[in-house]
Amino acid sequence: MRECAVKVNGVIRRDMIKDNELLLDFLRDKLEVRSVKAACWRGECGLCTVQMNGRLVKSCLVLAVEANGGDVKTVEGLAENGELVPIQKAFIEHGASQCGFCTPAWVLASHDLLKKNPDPSDANIEEAVAGLLCRCGTYAQIKEAIHSVSQSGSKQPLKQLVKGVG
Amino acid sequence: MSFGSPYTTLPDFEYHKASGVDEVIRLLKQYGEEAEVMAGGVGLMAFMKERLLSPGHLIDIKDVKELRQIVYARGKGLSIGAAVTIEEVAANQDVKARFQALHEAASKTADPMIRARATLVGNLCEAIPWVDSPPVLMALDASVEIAGSGGRRNIPVTGFIKGPVDVDLGPDEFVTRIEVPDQTGRSAFEKFTGGSEFALASVAVSITSDGGRRKARVIFGSVNSTPVRCLEAEQVLQESELSQPTIRRAAEVASEKVECVSDVLANADYRKHLVRVITTKALARLIQS
Repeated sequence: MRECAVKVNGVIRRDMIKDNELLLDFLRDKLEVRSVKAACWRGECGLCTVQMNGRLVKSCLVLAVEANGGDVKTVEGLAENGELVPIQKAFIEHGASQCGFCTPAWVLASHDLLKKNPDPSDANIEEAVAGLLCRCGTYAQIKEAIHSVSQSGSKQPLKQLVKGVG
Repeated sequence: MSFGSPYTTLPDFEYHKASGVDEVIRLLKQYGEEAEVMAGGVGLMAFMKERLLSPGHLIDIKDVKELRQIVYARGKGLSIGAAVTIEEVAANQDVKARFQALHEAASKTADPMIRARATLVGNLCEAIPWVDSPPVLMALDASVEIAGSGGRRNIPVTGFIKGPVDVDLGPDEFVTRIEVPDQTGRSAFEKFTGGSEFALASVAVSITSDGGRRKARVIFGSVNSTPVRCLEAEQVLQESELSQPTIRRAAEVASEKVECVSDVLANADYRKHLVRVITTKALARLIQS
C-alpha cells in the first residue's frame, strides 16, 4: 500500500492504494466519483473516460499510481459557478442522452473536441469519439448537440439543425 | 466498482518507475521472469486482466527520456523509442512524408484515447496475430534494438517475431527502439476491420528502387498466426510495369498464394477475398501518389 494524492476537479484527494489498483476503481470506489462508469474494464467502451493531466484517458487502462501527483477532471468539474457549460446544455436540448449511463464520458469527449477544434466536421466528430460506445444509440443526437455549440452551428437557429422539430 | 472477478482487476504486483535504461536492465536482472516492462500498458493490462500474465513486478518506462524520442535523420532513417506513443508516430511529419505505411497504420490504430497511451513498440511486442505494426515494420525492413544485461543487440523485425504472442526476448531483455532504414520509395497500408476491434486482414506494401532495380515488399497481417510475406506478389511487382493490370495480377496472385486461417473473426475463404481487395486498394494508392 502507498498513499496516492490526486487533484480531482480542483480538490486534492488522498487515499491508500495498492500498486495494482486501476484509476477507475480508485475514483469510483475510494473517492466516490460516480460519474466515472465501469462497464467493460477493457478499454473498449470508453465509459470510464476522464481527463488526466489535460488528456482524455480510459481510466480502466491507467494505474492509480500513475495518477499520483496528477490532475484529474471528471464531468462533475465542468460546470462553472453552478452553471452548465454550453455542451452540457446542448446535450439536454438535443436529447443526446437516453439512459444516461454513458453521458458523462460523451460530454467530456465532446467538450475536449470542441476545445481543440471549435468547428468540427461530422468526420472530425466521428474520429474524436471513436473510442466511446452508447448502447441506446444516441449518436445522431450527440452529433447534433456538438454541431449546435460549434462555431458555425451556434449561429444557426435550433430548428434548422433538428429536422422535423419546431 | 469491482466485483472481485478476475476479469476486472489486475493481479498483485509491485510497481517500479524506471528513470533510465540502466535502471530497467538492473530491475530486469533482479526480477527476471517475474518482471514485465510497461510503457502504455494497454496490451499488458488486457493480458493481466485475463490472467494470461501475472508478473510480480511491473517496470514503467514511460518517463525514460532516451525511450521517449522519435528521430529521423536523412540517409540513416527513423528511430522510434519504446515509450513513443502511436499518436506521436501518427503525428510525426517525417513519418507522414517518408514512411507512409507506418503513418497510415498508426493513424488508424484503435481510437484516439488508446493511441495516446499505447506505444508502437508495445504493439509490436504484443505480437498477437491481429495487430497492425508487424506487417508494416516488416515491409519497411525495420529492426529492433534490444537491451539487456549482456549489452545491446539489433535484429530484424522478421526474426524478432517467432510466433503468435512470442518474440525473441530474454527474461532480462527489453526492446529500446525500432529502427526503420531511410526509404527511397513509397509504401502503403490497408486493413479491413468490418467494425471489429481488430483487422480481419491487413496488408503493408512498399516499393523502392535498389540500385536501379525495383524492390517490392508485400506483407499481410491478421490472416494467419504471424505476418505472411507474399514473394510471388512481390515478383509480379518487380518484373512488370506498375499499372492497373499489374496491380490486379499481384492482388490475384496474393489471394491465391497467401495462406489464410479460419478463426472467430473470419473464415479462410473470406480472408482470401479480403486479401485481393486490400492489396488492390493499397497498391492503387501507392502508384497514384
